[in-house]
Amino acid sequence: MSAEADAPRITPRRTLAVDVRGAANLIGTLTKYLSLATLAPAAVALGYGESPWPFLLAGAIAFGVGLAVETATRGADRLGFREGFLVVSLTWVVAAGLAALPYALSGEPQLSHPIDAYFEGMSGFTTTGATVLTDNEALSRGLLFWRQLTQWLGGIGIIVLALAVLPRLRVGGRQLLESELPGPEIESLDTRIRDTARRIWLLYVGLTIVLAGLLWGYAVTGADPEMTGFDAVAHALTTVPTGGFSTRFVSVEAFGAVTQWTMVVFMILGGINFALLYRALVRRQPRALGRDDEFRLYAVLLALAAVVLAAELMAQGVSEGEAAIRHAVFQAVSIMTTSGFSNTDFAAWPPLAVMTLIGLMFVGGSAGSTSGSVKVVRHVLLGRILRRELDQTVHPEIVVPVRLNRKPVDERTLRAVAAFILLYVGIFIAGAVLLALDAARIGLGLSVVEAVSVSAAMIGNVGPAFGIAGPLGSYEPFSDLSKLLMIVLMWLGRLEIIPVAVLLSRHYWRTV
Amino acid sequence: MRIFVIGAGQVGTTIVEALHEAHDLTVIDLDPARLEPLAYRFDISTIEGNGASRTVLTDAALTGADLLIACTSRDEANLVAAMIAKGISPQTTTLVRTTNPEYLEVWREGQLDVDFIVSSEEETAQAIARSVAVPAARQTDVFAEGQVQMVELDVSDASSAAVVGPPLREARLPEDGRVASIIRGEEMILPGGDDVLRPGDRIVVIGSPAAAQAWGRLIAPDTGTVTDVVIWGAGRAGTAVARLLLEQEIGVRLIEASRERARTVAEQLPGARVYHATGIDPDFLERERIRDAQVGVFAMRDDMKNHYAATLAKVHGLGFTIAIVHEPAAAEVFERAGVDVTVNPRQVTAEEMVRFAHDPRTQQVTMLEGDRFEVLDITTRPGGEFVGMTFREMPIRGALIGAIVRDGKAIFPRSDEVLRAGDRAIIFTESSRVGEVERSL
Repeated sequence: MSAEADAPRITPRRTLAVDVRGAANLIGTLTKYLSLATLAPAAVALGYGESPWPFLLAGAIAFGVGLAVETATRGADRLGFREGFLVVSLTWVVAAGLAALPYALSGEPQLSHPIDAYFEGMSGFTTTGATVLTDNEALSRGLLFWRQLTQWLGGIGIIVLALAVLPRLRVGGRQLLESELPGPEIESLDTRIRDTARRIWLLYVGLTIVLAGLLWGYAVTGADPEMTGFDAVAHALTTVPTGGFSTRFVSVEAFGAVTQWTMVVFMILGGINFALLYRALVRRQPRALGRDDEFRLYAVLLALAAVVLAAELMAQGVSEGEAAIRHAVFQAVSIMTTSGFSNTDFAAWPPLAVMTLIGLMFVGGSAGSTSGSVKVVRHVLLGRILRRELDQTVHPEIVVPVRLNRKPVDERTLRAVAAFILLYVGIFIAGAVLLALDAARIGLGLSVVEAVSVSAAMIGNVGPAFGIAGPLGSYEPFSDLSKLLMIVLMWLGRLEIIPVAVLLSRHYWRTV
Repeated sequence: MRIFVIGAGQVGTTIVEALHEAHDLTVIDLDPARLEPLAYRFDISTIEGNGASRTVLTDAALTGADLLIACTSRDEANLVAAMIAKGISPQTTTLVRTTNPEYLEVWREGQLDVDFIVSSEEETAQAIARSVAVPAARQTDVFAEGQVQMVELDVSDASSAAVVGPPLREARLPEDGRVASIIRGEEMILPGGDDVLRPGDRIVVIGSPAAAQAWGRLIAPDTGTVTDVVIWGAGRAGTAVARLLLEQEIGVRLIEASRERARTVAEQLPGARVYHATGIDPDFLERERIRDAQVGVFAMRDDMKNHYAATLAKVHGLGFTIAIVHEPAAAEVFERAGVDVTVNPRQVTAEEMVRFAHDPRTQQVTMLEGDRFEVLDITTRPGGEFVGMTFREMPIRGALIGAIVRDGKAIFPRSDEVLRAGDRAIIFTESSRVGEVERSL
């Protein structure tokens, strides 16, 4: 190398340390493929003699934008660890936008306001299940189907993300159990992750088909006279991803006991870590469930919550016999797995039951499942961290590794768990305060329970809360500002806060 | 026997001391300064060279030797030496010293082409665990990889009336064990069902480790059981001791000065309490109530550190202390400081290795009461006098079988069990009758 020709020189500083073009390229590609999903509701609309155009148009727009972005940024695919945070965060923003397009284009009066449409879209893709609708039955079949489908897509999206992508970014509950994945370790994006994702995807599709088949069976045999073929498919699409959207305004209360019990089973399955579920169901190692610390606590908490609620309902005379047990079990499962279906108006329950349900909103299902909220594994670890803290207070020199499934968990992960829970609680409190503030601004009479439960239901991706936002209420009365806040809460909660929060730090974007 | 010893350190020297009279020894070491004093003191041949070299071993005329003992301080050198020796002379029995318990594990799985492995850590840990597990025992030893334990106990007035007083046949005795001998003054009784234990007797029990502990509790109820042992130093030796004690459900506290090591050990031993501390801070000893522990084990690498820590612990009020010592002179120093038991890993290892130079069928020998009695581990041969007999039919002639090992598993024989050829018998006998016993089996 001659000094004259290739002398090293100080080059102008790159302004951004993140390759935004590369991230945009990937998001463009994802949008392009995601837009194909609009063909399904278009087909449904055609089948029911409705206009398929809102869907086809939305699909075309999304496809066009996706393609344009992809083409404009071609060649800039320098994607790495750093860009991952941006891609993950923006994907949900874009997906919610895609979901909102048909609502806005359809001319449906309940969803014509753009913020309402976007709220419904975000609620769909984050599998929250909160709705601004006040009359679900007035929607066209095509729109109803699209609502359900967005939750189904959001569900598989978050599982793949939680099992395959977030652990690589060292966030997300699933990294805690990395060694428990079907493969030994997630190393290469090309082979392992794709392999894992494919297995989980098949399990997800399988569960949905089985549930749809069962519900359809109830419709055909008349076991549940209210059930129809359309409802069967629609509810299968939102039960497995623990979503909570329903085709009926009164949610699952519209259906018979047999449907409700069946959905209980599938919500429970949806709240189990899918890698573990894969081992238990597909590889026939049901004992793997019993050996898993997280699953054991998950099962215990579900049972405990159901018993407490049933006792409370019976003692207070809210309902009795089979109905009391069914209401208690269904709501315990629905709220803890962050589904958000209702089979009774639980907002009208007595205070202890209400407090129990609000408490359950902070539990969530397992890491690596479709459920939201804090997730059981973090509670397991937090409990063990606290126990160790007490031990070390008395014995300052003691060395106690915190274990999960008998394996020691590294200290960095433990710090991440504690940080996550702090962030979660902090954002929840801030959300509740801001909601109360905004409600006061527009003169909406929001009680403490309402403000607190709405914030918890949003960041936990639960869906319905209490009071006006209860199972028989709607999020429609809230102001646009509150709805935007709720959109952000749903988004943060779904992505487990950290990937989004990282974007707010200067050192993410800059080198110095 | 023609025996090769590779390594002339502390272990090698102890082995040479024990074997030089009866056997034909060749000692190989890299360091002439170590060989010289040996050659001066004993009638042996010495070779300066690498024991793990084929040329050296071939030139030393290894072919046809009976036994090769590789006992340098380097595990890998020992293993390579033994494996090369096997290649040169397949009929030579190879015996390797290791300080890494993992090699022992691999060898037990049949993955190392070595006839026998003696692990210093393992032997030391077992020596300590034995004295901790049965604190009442005057002496104790194990056979068959720890499946069979021998304990010597003193019967006193405090001993349980369930076993002292009634004839043994009627007494409620722990299962899987038997009284192999009653020593009453100058008299030695090989007990039958009609014999009775009396205060003042000294008894030898052979049985499972659980039975040995149960006997300890029956004979000396006031010593109780040990449930709290503090170990200074979580190196290989300390960890090995901790692991053995935990297996016997004895509570263990480990004190380790290195943070990383403390963390590793805490991860490996979920049952142990691990402190990251030096163990010589009086505040720490007080805060953690170290004096309330029943036994302190000093397993740090440095004799001087152990010495100071043990003395400090004694000052602090710790009752019973065991130290692992390394320098030959250390035992005396520690005893002067009031340490109750010292264990020298090299000594223990050398003793263990010397056992292999005995009759090939006799695997292990323990001396009792000076050398009045011995416990032998003998493999029975076809055509032996007692083979095919039930234990009820066997005449009592100055020896008693406490346990047999069949297909690697210990059996504590009932009277209708039949002795088969190939069984390893754990036998108690008088030293003067050892030859007779070996012949009759």
